[in-house]
Amino acid sequence: MSPATPEKLAPALPPKRGLRDFFVERLGLDGIQALMAKKRVPIHRSTPFYFLGGMALFLFGIQLVTGMLLSLYYKPSTDQAFESVQAIMTEVDFGWLVRSAHAWSANLLIGILFLHILTAYIMRAYRRPREMTWFSGMLLFFLFLAFGFSGYLLPWNQLAFFASSVGTALVGKVPFVGEQLLLWARGGENVTGETLVRFYALHVAVFPVIAFVLLGMHLYLVQKHGMSVPDAAVKKLGGKENVPSMPFVPHFLLRDMVGWYLALAILAALAALFPWELGEKADPFGSAPVGIKPEWYFLFMFQALRHLPAHIYGVEGEIAGVLFFGFCGIVAMLVPLLDRTATAGWPRRILNVLAAMAVIFFIVMTAWGLIE
Amino acid sequence: MRSVLPKVVLLALAVSLGGGSSRLAAQQAGEPPTPPEETSCVKCHGLSDLWEGDQRRLYVPVDHLAGDVHWQKGLRCHDCHGGDTQTTNFITAHAVESGFRPVKSPAEVPDFCGHCHSDIQYMRRYNPSPRTDQVAEYWTSGHGQRLKSDGDTKVATCVSCHGGHGIRPVDDVQSPVYPTQVANTCATCHANAELMTGRQYHGRPLGHDQFELWSQGVHAQALLKKHDLASATCNDCHGNHGAVPPEVSSVANACGKCHVKVAELFDNTRMKHRFEQLDLPGCVTCHSNHAIHSPSDEMLGMQAGAVCAKCHEAGKFGATLAGAQEAREMRGKLEQLKRDIAAAKDTVARAERLGMEVRGPRFDLHKAETSLTNARSLIHSFAPEPMNTTLDEGLKVTADVQLRAEHALGQYTYRRIWLALSLVPILLVVILLLLYIRALPEPNSHA
Repeated sequence: MSPATPEKLAPALPPKRGLRDFFVERLGLDGIQALMAKKRVPIHRSTPFYFLGGMALFLFGIQLVTGMLLSLYYKPSTDQAFESVQAIMTEVDFGWLVRSAHAWSANLLIGILFLHILTAYIMRAYRRPREMTWFSGMLLFFLFLAFGFSGYLLPWNQLAFFASSVGTALVGKVPFVGEQLLLWARGGENVTGETLVRFYALHVAVFPVIAFVLLGMHLYLVQKHGMSVPDAAVKKLGGKENVPSMPFVPHFLLRDMVGWYLALAILAALAALFPWELGEKADPFGSAPVGIKPEWYFLFMFQALRHLPAHIYGVEGEIAGVLFFGFCGIVAMLVPLLDRTATAGWPRRILNVLAAMAVIFFIVMTAWGLIE
Repeated sequence: MRSVLPKVVLLALAVSLGGGSSRLAAQQAGEPPTPPEETSCVKCHGLSDLWEGDQRRLYVPVDHLAGDVHWQKGLRCHDCHGGDTQTTNFITAHAVESGFRPVKSPAEVPDFCGHCHSDIQYMRRYNPSPRTDQVAEYWTSGHGQRLKSDGDTKVATCVSCHGGHGIRPVDDVQSPVYPTQVANTCATCHANAELMTGRQYHGRPLGHDQFELWSQGVHAQALLKKHDLASATCNDCHGNHGAVPPEVSSVANACGKCHVKVAELFDNTRMKHRFEQLDLPGCVTCHSNHAIHSPSDEMLGMQAGAVCAKCHEAGKFGATLAGAQEAREMRGKLEQLKRDIAAAKDTVARAERLGMEVRGPRFDLHKAETSLTNARSLIHSFAPEPMNTTLDEGLKVTADVQLRAEHALGQYTYRRIWLALSLVPILLVVILLLLYIRALPEPNSHA
């Protein structure tokens, strides 16, 4: 029998617990850790398309952070909005950078979302059981367009004022409810301080709440159903079970991070090459500046509506245009319900033709609007 | 009057029998309110059909009386004209014994009005500090002197400008002597070629183009289009009751009533005395009298169209070549400041649009513009030194503004360069990530 050492005599102590264990125990991080370890991402020719969602999420994060910083100094009133943005750009340390990053990341986000939706469509990632993922994604896209539209007015400069006047006027063209919608959107008959406050409230309170709900739902559904694998890859490898995959952590996450950094690089390059200008303060009684145009992602619509004939089959041209674009939006939204077959059948072929026409129309009209 | 008399007598009889109900009938018919028929005068003088030919002047439209300042103050016909208002008898009503004060000719009008307007005790009833010198002033005017000395009864008297009945207060926009109406009122006679023919002042024909010339000028534009009531019209330079053309020596004083600073500068120049010696009418020599156009910088210098060149180019009136050179230099420097201000403004606006801090330079630009305005005034000192000093101040401020605005633009470029350089670390991280990803074990399992 060996003599008893002090260690042996001491009562048994619970094992040492670090800070990590503290949180693991309380927040149930084990489950998340296990999920991350288990989660895999398919590898095929279209795998890079998966990065677009991550890039969009990253840009949304930039929007949130820069938006919060801007809201510390921004004052939503007609006599202070422009001046406060001017102060942000001239007096606040790096305020010019924050504003430029906010504005450019918004544009970049819309662009990435365009591509994200297009690639999801090409991969038929909307099919059962991912219909709700598509719906939530489309709603998020429309929401971010609304974010862009409402944010555009906030600096209260000439261009923003008149572009918003034209943009909101289109709402008034909606049959039956247009007039009421216009009053609701503008907070009166014209774009005034009431509109500015309304747009600000929508931009910083209402839309973000809706965005969080939709985004949470979208991410949950992506997690639940996993990444969709294109038919071609499944067919080529002789079954879904034969498609190779990579662990989400660290393989995919690191690749995703490359995408984030590339988005950041594009953002920095855009901000350096085309810094966001302040413009001139809005003068509601002045004449509209020559060549006012909306943001590029509304330009195709603006350009089309401008060149529509006054009447189409007895219907006012602009009303017909608004109805047409509204119909297109509904069709895009309902794609999962229109193409429900397991293999690509005739509905898919019709949709493909329509999608190709829509993309060509978008590119041509946008280019036309930019050079005109 | 003889031809009208039977009508008047018949009418007087008629109104004495039943005329009292006419006012009530008019009110019931919804007609505009008319002055109360407190006197018997309007019963005849208010009837249009009664007065014809030379007697037409005795017709007094009753609706005119409603807007008359005298009537509004409670004065009635007899307060000016006297007579017996209690009778409908024509003879008794107009009898001198009844206190009737007839106005037999235009020459009697000033004293007729002056009966009250020159009586300070009487006028104090209506105004604690009234003017009572209008009649005295009138007799010193071109109109008054011509009336008194030449017996020219076509000259203007009180009623020519103010009206006979229905005299509105001076500050009433409908008054013929309201600032925007004065020129039109004067023009009724002075733009009448027939009336002005043969009429002279100090040996010079009066002419009839003053209104037309004034209408094209800067003062008419300001008064009639911008409704700037401070802008000069006829009476501001010529006076009103004592209207006369300003003398050569007093032209600068007339203009100086409003253009105080310029008149003060001109008053201390050799040019002013030289003008007086040459019988040249001060300001009018360069700016004209009635057709005074908005002054421009093109008036200064020796190029075509410049007013300095009129004398200095040909040595007219003893004007010197040295003066011509000074005019050239003054203009040259003025143009330089204008160019520099425009360039600085452009740079500041560019920086502002880009969101750079240039509020300080923007504010200081006002100082340069003030220097430019002051320099333009100082042209009237006819000496290069004070103008050059002011222009130099403006040029100094403008140079400073330009420098600061360019610095702001430089800062803008500096930001862009640094932002572009931030791409280097970002892309470096991307490369490191890609290298790290390559080093990861190849994922080969199936989904």
